[in-house]
Parts: sequence; C-alpha cells; structure tokens
Amino acid sequence: MIVCVRIADDVRSDDVWHEILDALDAVTPLIEDVRRGVTLLDMHGAGGDFATWSANIRAALVPYTLSPCVGSGPNRFCAFAATWNGDGSQIEVGHEAQTLAPMPLEVLECDADVIERLHLLGVTTLGALAALPHGPFVRRFGPDAARWHDAARGIDRSPFVPRGHAISIEAAMLGEGSAQSEAAVVFALRVLIGRICSDLERSGKRASALQVEIELESADTARIEVQLAAATSQERAMLDVLRAKLEGSSFPAPICGLRLRALGLEEGGEPVPLLACDEIDRASVAVVLARLEAMLGEPVRRAQTRAAHPFEERFTYEPFTLAADRPKAERYRFGEAESTVPSIVPQLRLLAVTEIDVRLRRGEPSSIGERIVQQCFGPWRIEEGWFAAAHVARDEYDVQLDTGEICRIYRQGERWYLRGSYD
Amino acid sequence: MLPTRPDFQELKARFHATGAASRAGREALFPTAITDIDALLGGGLPCGSLITLEGCGTAGARSIAAVLLAQATRNGLGALIDGGDLYPPALEAAGVRLDRLLIVPAATPVRAARAADVLLRSRTARVVVMAVCGSTLRAAVWARLASLAQKAGAVLVVVCSGTPLTTRAIAALSAAATVCLSCRVDRPVHTGTRGIWGIFTGFELRAELRKHKFRKSLTPFVVNKLGMVQ
Repeated sequence: MIVCVRIADDVRSDDVWHEILDALDAVTPLIEDVRRGVTLLDMHGAGGDFATWSANIRAALVPYTLSPCVGSGPNRFCAFAATWNGDGSQIEVGHEAQTLAPMPLEVLECDADVIERLHLLGVTTLGALAALPHGPFVRRFGPDAARWHDAARGIDRSPFVPRGHAISIEAAMLGEGSAQSEAAVVFALRVLIGRICSDLERSGKRASALQVEIELESADTARIEVQLAAATSQERAMLDVLRAKLEGSSFPAPICGLRLRALGLEEGGEPVPLLACDEIDRASVAVVLARLEAMLGEPVRRAQTRAAHPFEERFTYEPFTLAADRPKAERYRFGEAESTVPSIVPQLRLLAVTEIDVRLRRGEPSSIGERIVQQCFGPWRIEEGWFAAAHVARDEYDVQLDTGEICRIYRQGERWYLRGSYD
Repeated sequence: MLPTRPDFQELKARFHATGAASRAGREALFPTAITDIDALLGGGLPCGSLITLEGCGTAGARSIAAVLLAQATRNGLGALIDGGDLYPPALEAAGVRLDRLLIVPAATPVRAARAADVLLRSRTARVVVMAVCGSTLRAAVWARLASLAQKAGAVLVVVCSGTPLTTRAIAALSAAATVCLSCRVDRPVHTGTRGIWGIFTGFELRAELRKHKFRKSLTPFVVNKLGMVQ
C-alpha cells in the first residue's frame, strides 16, 4: 500500500521540505520525494492500518503547523488521486477505475492545453478518458497519452523511488607536531581512508569524490578535491588516486593535520562479470587519470566530434571520464558493432599554421617553397561568420608534392598557409 | 553462499573443455584487422611488445596506428600520447571509439615517455600510441618502455613519421622494438583530374617488415587502397 501526503500550504524552502521528509522517516524509511509539497510513503510490511499510519504522519508533522492531506492507494497514482477526494480518502484494490471515474482530468497533472483539448472533445473526467479506445487516443495525443490512459483506469506501473539519505562520512587526524616525511603523510592518509571505507561499507555506499583538508603549521588549510572516475568504496583505489594527487602538490609549511571526507555518496553495489578479461577496471582508470594529471599538470582528454566547416572546429576536448557501459550480455543481445571491422583511413596531422611561399600557375599552386606541386585539387571555399566580426573566408587545397607528401594548404586573402599533412 | 573448492574445480574443467583455454593462448597476439599485416605477422602483433611504424612525411604510419587503436577500443581502452597535431574526426572515421580513447597531451618527448610509462604500468590500455617526431630519447628509455609493455601485455606503438629521426635515434629505438614496420606511399589515389572536380580518395601503401624478433622471413607487402577522410 502506498500513502500519499500532499501539503496544500506553501512549504517555504527546500531545506524545510527535507526536514519534513526526515520527520516522516519515523513513519517509514521508504519515502519518495515527488516534489516540494508531495511525497509518497511505501507502507508495505509496516504494521497497523491506514488510520494508524495517518495518525503517525500527522504526529510527525505537528512541529511544522501544516495541514496535510493524506490518501492511500494500491499504486503511486491512486495514492496521489486519493488526496484529491479529501483528507483520509482511500482507493481500495479492485475498485481503482470506479473510484477514479468521477475525478477531473486535472488529477493527471498534464499540460493545460491537453486538458483544454480533451474538454473540447467532451472528455472532462477520468472515467470518460478511460472509456476512449487506447490506440487512437495515444496516436492522437502522443506517447505520454499511454500513461494518462493507464492512470485513468487506475494502472500505474512506474516504480517507487525511495529518496537517498544524506549522511556525512569523514575522518580526521591531527598529530602533535608535524609530519617529518611524505611517508608519514601517506601512512596517515591510509589510516583515514581505512576508516572512511569501513564507514562506507557499513552504510552500503560508495563515494564518487574525496576531499582532503590539509592543516599546515602556518595555520593555513589546503583543500584538495579529487573526483573519482567511478564511485568506489575500495581502500586501495582511493589511496592510489589520492597519493597520485599529492605527488603533484607542494605546501608552504609542514603538515600537522589531515581531514578526509567522502563526497557524492551513491548506493553501493555494481555488477561484476565472472570472466572479466575484457571489462575495463574503473578503479585502475581513476588512478592512471590522477597520476597523469599530477604529472602533466592538465587532465587527460577525451575528444568529441561535431559538424563544422573548418577542420579545427570539427572537434572539442573535455576531461576524460569513463562513460557508463551497458552490461556485455546486453550489448550482444542488441548485436552492436562488436564485430565491425575498422576501416583504414589516412590520418590528417593538424600542424601549427605556418605561412608558406606558394607560386601559382593558371590560378593553381605550382610550387610550395622549393617543392614542386605534382597534383592539386581544390579550391574548396570555407566562409564563416560573415555576419560577425570574426569573418573567416579561405580557399582550401589538397596538394601532392614531389616528395610524395600530401598536404592541406589554404589561401586567406593574399597569403598562403600550411594547415596539415596526411599520414 | 560462496562456491566451494570442488565447485570451482568443476567450473574450471568445463571452462577448459569449451576450448576457451586454448583461445586464451592465442590472445598473445593482437590482430591488427589489416589482412596483409596479420598474414605476414602470423596472426597479429605480439602482445607485450614495442612496435615501430616508420616513414617520412605521408607514409601511412598513423593510418595503421589508428586501425590498432580502433581494434583496442572495441573491447577496452586505448591511449594516444598527443604531441598537439591530432585530428580526432579522422580517428573516428577509422573506427576508433573516442569515448574509450585516453588522449594524453605531452608536448615534449620526455613528457611523452613519462606518460607512456604511467600508462603501461597501470595496464589500463591495450594499445598505447606515441609519436616521436625527430625526438632523441635515449636507448635506455626505449628499453624500459619495451620492458614495461612486456610486463603489461600491452602493445606500445611508436610512430616515427614527420621529421626524420637521426640514425642514432633509429638505432636506439629499433634495438628495443619487437617489430619494425617501414611504410611508404606507393601512389596517391584520386578521382577526377584537377581543380574542384578532383579529390584525393586515399593512397596505396607499401609496408616492409624491417625487424621481427620471432620471425625470420622479412618480406615487403602492399596494403590495399586506403580511403581519405574528408
């Protein structure tokens, strides 16, 4: 049984709303935060009946001086719809359609123009909507209409999504005096990570980021925040990432204290394959990303392509993050490109743009510096930003030199430039 | 409940009976998916080795490296140490999954070598590609990287194109390499004759196996037409 609590009064802020949800934890730990003012409580397995639950909910909300409207039903929608019938309403199992039938369409909370269209068609209640043929109604009103039609008949297959609980997991270590060596800091860090990981495991969580506060003898505090490539509760993975991060850091004064905090907590548990030969080890990737970043001073990149005319605008870079992959079994089921054979494509090297000396014959490049142009194709005109100050107009050519090299050159105004070469 | 030892033994026996174990032995080779090269190398490049792809200017070395990355990113991660001249759309056209390609920016040869060191030690990428344009890394560095590649079971591909290397640099690199492939373009392939009506569609590539630690016959071969990305 699902119980819906709808609060008609204005809840002032999100903080107050979350306090209310925390208070409702006393009734049941399974609470779904639908939106500010509406929450669903899953009462499966809870003792008592609807009257008891309703009384408990009111008792929990007494400090907030609110007037809640409580209703119950066999699924999420029915519980919500029950609150429209007045406080304390219930929709019994097996009587969903007939209880919902006289209710107005506004219970569905769909767009106002959809409701207006339905009114024009003479459909004003959920019962009238449920009487419409499913197929033609969905074809006319789009994919969301399937959900509305089901809801009007008291069917709601959407899952109950319990809200996460905010818990703070952190550990601190403050010593007398300062750390004499890097090894002492790493040792202290390992102890703190051990404590953090045991707390994470106990609460069934994983951390997707770590924050280290380093207290220095000069009374300053340095703060390092580390994003993990994948949420983890593994001690080894966390230590490797933090160690790699610290390897690239220096501090103006000796370290006298450490505080470690786990951030971005996620529910624990992840699918692990039995034969993991081809699976990517996310923890190792996180470590290597942190090490490379510490060494290079800039993050490892991932390229993304996009449609554009100039070569240099056809791609962008962003920090590398490992995209969530679907399970292997699922990939095979859909027969994705696991078996595709890659094609051999000459690679363009984008060289630093340099001005070149080009001689022309009949309007085409005949030589570049000392080198003779054997074949030339083009020009291909690229003109962009004619409406803005950054107006780019150039003619691009592919040329084959007598050395065998194939280059991409372009003319902008009266000047010629080398853009890249194929390899 | 955790599986007991006999259960595990039975699972292991069934695993061997399916022939999966013999397949595991063949995985010591990394197939390039280029039929001619695989035939010449006896199935593919040896895993845990340093491979050099040599050539001056437009030689097709990077095209072959892109195919290796495409193979690596089909089921795992690949890494490319970028000297700043990378054009990712061409990699994508070659079949590389860019979301599985670690692009490590390294402006100097020393940084590139250090990045390769970190990548190989981590064993995350099956193929690591680094380009050395006229760089002069010491023989000891190449020997160390080759050793790391061997321990990791990864393929470290060193592309020597662009600026020609010195004889000493080539000797240092070749000494550490397991396979040395020398590439050059036989002839460019194009449609049309001139002007905007013509277009380079690719080139025919000739590759020569200069060194293979585990094979004696070194024969040149021709890789078929390559398609140009536009």
